[in-house]
Amino acid sequence: MKHLKSINKKAKTVEEAVSREEVEEVMAMQTVVGCTATTDPGWEVDPFGGLASLCAPMESDLYGCADACWWPAQVPDTMSTYPDWSKGIDKANVDWRKLDGIFPEDE
Amino acid sequence: MKTKKRAVRALLALAGVGVILSGCHGNVKQAATTAPHEYLLTVTRPNQLQVIDTQTNSITRSCDVPGYFGAGSIAMSPDGRIAYVLSNKWEDIYGFDITDCKMVFSAKQSSSDVIVKTFFSLAVSPDGKELYTVQNPVRELDDRYEVMQPQLAVFDTTAGLDVQQSRSWPVDRRITKIATMDNGEVVLGGADLKAIDPRTGTVRVISKLQNWERGARWLTPDAFAVSSQGEHVGEYIMAYVTAEFKDDSMNFETADWWWGMSRVDLKSGAVEQMETVPFQFIVFSWVSDPHDSNIIYGAFNTLSKHNIKEKKTLAVTDMDHTYYTINMTSDGSTLYVGGTSSDISVHDPETLKKIGSIQLPGDMSTADMRLVRLQE
Repeated sequence: MKHLKSINKKAKTVEEAVSREEVEEVMAMQTVVGCTATTDPGWEVDPFGGLASLCAPMESDLYGCADACWWPAQVPDTMSTYPDWSKGIDKANVDWRKLDGIFPEDE
Repeated sequence: MKTKKRAVRALLALAGVGVILSGCHGNVKQAATTAPHEYLLTVTRPNQLQVIDTQTNSITRSCDVPGYFGAGSIAMSPDGRIAYVLSNKWEDIYGFDITDCKMVFSAKQSSSDVIVKTFFSLAVSPDGKELYTVQNPVRELDDRYEVMQPQLAVFDTTAGLDVQQSRSWPVDRRITKIATMDNGEVVLGGADLKAIDPRTGTVRVISKLQNWERGARWLTPDAFAVSSQGEHVGEYIMAYVTAEFKDDSMNFETADWWWGMSRVDLKSGAVEQMETVPFQFIVFSWVSDPHDSNIIYGAFNTLSKHNIKEKKTLAVTDMDHTYYTINMTSDGSTLYVGGTSSDISVHDPETLKKIGSIQLPGDMSTADMRLVRLQE
């Protein structure tokens, strides 16, 4: 950011939002607690480079990732944006086939 | 959950969620026993507080919780009668009398332009008169979100329904589970463990984690916990993972990796921090044995038993699937492993052998599984 100069109010707001103080307010974790150490489907590994500490089966962890907005790129975020995604599907391990994908809505 | 900024995607349209009237299903008759009785509490989809009898390991009653499911965090009144549930996309709190499902408390934390999310942070004062949450507010402006100062909010539990917070104090960002100590302070589980006096707002550090001062031979710990438990012995555990390096080269390959924990005795306020056992598998939640605080149990893909004085793993058993949380009866006779799916796995603490299963009507996902001792 130091080579960029904001020229309007919104750009200044963005610049302030990533000030060093605010970045340091949230620290990245050194290891992954559960689930996967990478977000590339098919390449999931646990912190030990194996599979034993991945959540299993996926259905047991599905709502835990959606409700907590844990993997918002992989599963719909039911905390804010798609609260009805799992409506009527109370057991993911039984009815996971009924869970649909989500798509951008028309403006 | 990894960053609060993801939470700013809350939609104003969601503020119009219809409120479902509270109701109760199943056996609602009052128990006639006089001895204190222990119940397990959890929340399942679509959004029901489940009251489970630990003597029969069956559901005694199910209370409908208004709004959408989430997070399902639970805090209990000291007499075990009232259960407070974090509901409606991690925003509202509802209090229920667990003997008849009557709603006795409610508070909506969000307003028309400020969305407030609470990340598991729910606790009740030792006298039961106040409820505490950590609020993470975001103001929705026309062209941007304004991420606001997190705060500890204080609610009067006797004020009934649609309660407004009585006061608030600024706190750190990224706080998850909290608990009250007998001296009235609230333990804040964040980058470091801190305690805040909810009467004055005074904050003190009780156990350094992100800012610990052990030098270059120790990796800064990853400390994280979401599920609340420990009421069977009056403890608060914040577990962490760290590495002890062989030399100043900080070689991760040759380092000794450790589980550790900061453990708070909620009665006395005493805090201890220690490495517990080698980091060999993931554990999501921990509890101490009521008969020996050197014995702890952990749950995730495995249920495990450890002696932290000897830094040894005593037993490990594979679970049927991933579970997020663990709890046990106050007499130490039974372990319960829950969260994630729709079954609670019941185990013998001595052998870790599975001795039962409690089937629930829906997934627990991120919900707590708390123990209450109710004088009926």
